[in-house]
Amino acid sequence: MIEMKNNIVSFANNTVTQKRPVQLSVEHVNIFYGENHAVKDVTIPIHEKSITALIGPSGCGKSTFLRTINRMNDLIPSARCEGTISYKAVNILNPKVDVVQLRKEIGMVFQQPNPFPKSISENIQLPLRFAGVRSKKVLKQVTEDCLKQVGLWDEVKDRLDRSATSLSGGQQQRLCIARALALKPDVILLDEPTSALDPVSSAKIEELLLELKTSYTIVIVTHNMQQAARIADYTAFFYQGELVEFGTTKTLFTTPEKKSTADYISGRFG
Amino acid sequence: MNSKVTNRIALSVIVLCAAAMATILISMLGYILVKGLSSISWHFLTTSASPFMPGGGIKDQLWNSFYVLFITMLLTVPIGVCGGIYLAEYAKPGKVTSFIRTCVEVLASLPSIVVGMFGLLLFVNYFGFKYSVLSGALALTVFNLPVIVRVTEDGFRALPRHQKEGGLALGMTHWHTIKTILLPAAFPSILTGIILSAGRVFGESAALLFTAGLSTPDLNFGNWNPLAPNSPLNLFRSAETLSVHIWSVNTGGIMPDVDTIANGSAAVLVICVLIFNLFARMLGKIINQKFSGK
Repeated sequence: MIEMKNNIVSFANNTVTQKRPVQLSVEHVNIFYGENHAVKDVTIPIHEKSITALIGPSGCGKSTFLRTINRMNDLIPSARCEGTISYKAVNILNPKVDVVQLRKEIGMVFQQPNPFPKSISENIQLPLRFAGVRSKKVLKQVTEDCLKQVGLWDEVKDRLDRSATSLSGGQQQRLCIARALALKPDVILLDEPTSALDPVSSAKIEELLLELKTSYTIVIVTHNMQQAARIADYTAFFYQGELVEFGTTKTLFTTPEKKSTADYISGRFG
Repeated sequence: MNSKVTNRIALSVIVLCAAAMATILISMLGYILVKGLSSISWHFLTTSASPFMPGGGIKDQLWNSFYVLFITMLLTVPIGVCGGIYLAEYAKPGKVTSFIRTCVEVLASLPSIVVGMFGLLLFVNYFGFKYSVLSGALALTVFNLPVIVRVTEDGFRALPRHQKEGGLALGMTHWHTIKTILLPAAFPSILTGIILSAGRVFGESAALLFTAGLSTPDLNFGNWNPLAPNSPLNLFRSAETLSVHIWSVNTGGIMPDVDTIANGSAAVLVICVLIFNLFARMLGKIINQKFSGK
């Protein structure tokens, strides 16, 4: 396992000194899969225009928790959720919430790059058209802007009508981020977005996330503690369904309060 | 025994079985084609069958086969595809769903003669459609519907789950995700399945014996008014299809060239099914390329 010395980890962006306003306020959230109590009484603020990392060993409930924020867990028939997640003064766990609208404002990028088996431009324009954008000019412009934002424009501008599946894994993942950005969300959820990618592509995505956090709130689930240390402003450590510790990344990595946090980040388990 | 020897034995057994399978299939196909091709001529394909004189053709039977197939597909494809989408995408796992799925499976493996008898009772007698194109097509619908449902459901289930999640996570509704992402992605496999099932329907005889009938009225191929009794398009006339014709000339034909007609018809039937299959593959490939971009 990784022997990580806390003092050699650089905290490149912990320049955020004053607290940003809270965008999503998670209070006493419990998630069940049938009888299995997967996430236990989690309370955590998610700050606007910053990166919050969720770390913890496999099966600790971090992905489950992430998928609850835009109600993707609704797809799993046995999943049940209690508590509140306030977003714009609405509890998004309320069954009456329009999940379609919610997911436009809280976008998601998955572990496995999942471009649609369509052309590159169609991948970005399909959700836009569904959202009601009709003008060809606007569609083209947004496609270009989003691809530029993720640094993919120069790589693909001559083959926008080629299949998105012909791109490399890293390019596909950046396309998926671009596609999520096209809807102008407030929050972007990323579920281990780099774990299927090579180191160079991962580094590109990390750089991109650091740029994006100036305009978006980002929540990222990661297996990679160095990644959390490199890019996150806040980090939450999950273990066996419980939120063990939450704080600024710097505090959590240098002076963890709980012993299990210290054990995990120093690589003693997980 | 040495594991290398086991490996070699396993390989030889598998190769032997594969060779046996290929030999049986190829020799059967070869036999039908060799015996039948010589009797196929333009005259054979474009002449009506004669009841007792030699030199009859299969024009009406060939037309009936395609017409019944067309009506069957018109009935089964929309219902079957929608049913398959329902089972794959909307049905909640539970007792009712698994019961429906079991029904579909049982229906798919129902002996076709049973479907024929059912069609005789329900469509021919109870609904009073008589021996007709419509009765035949409805019986074949019972026979083919479960296949289309299965093909569609399997096509959807074979898609990676993250495609659907991707669509939903981008603020699209479930239906829009199905329509714009899942259905196009599953379309090539569904289409291939549909065309292959068309081959099965085309060659079906037992289900049609008691529903579409063993005779065809004198068809006037100049009369395309579907209400006229001698029109090829009339749904309520009896219609002997090619495969039923093979059966009927072999069992009760009194024309002197029974063998030639049966052999020729069999070859035509096999060639049609072969064309369906090749067409299915080609079309699936082209559409796959088209939908997924170049």
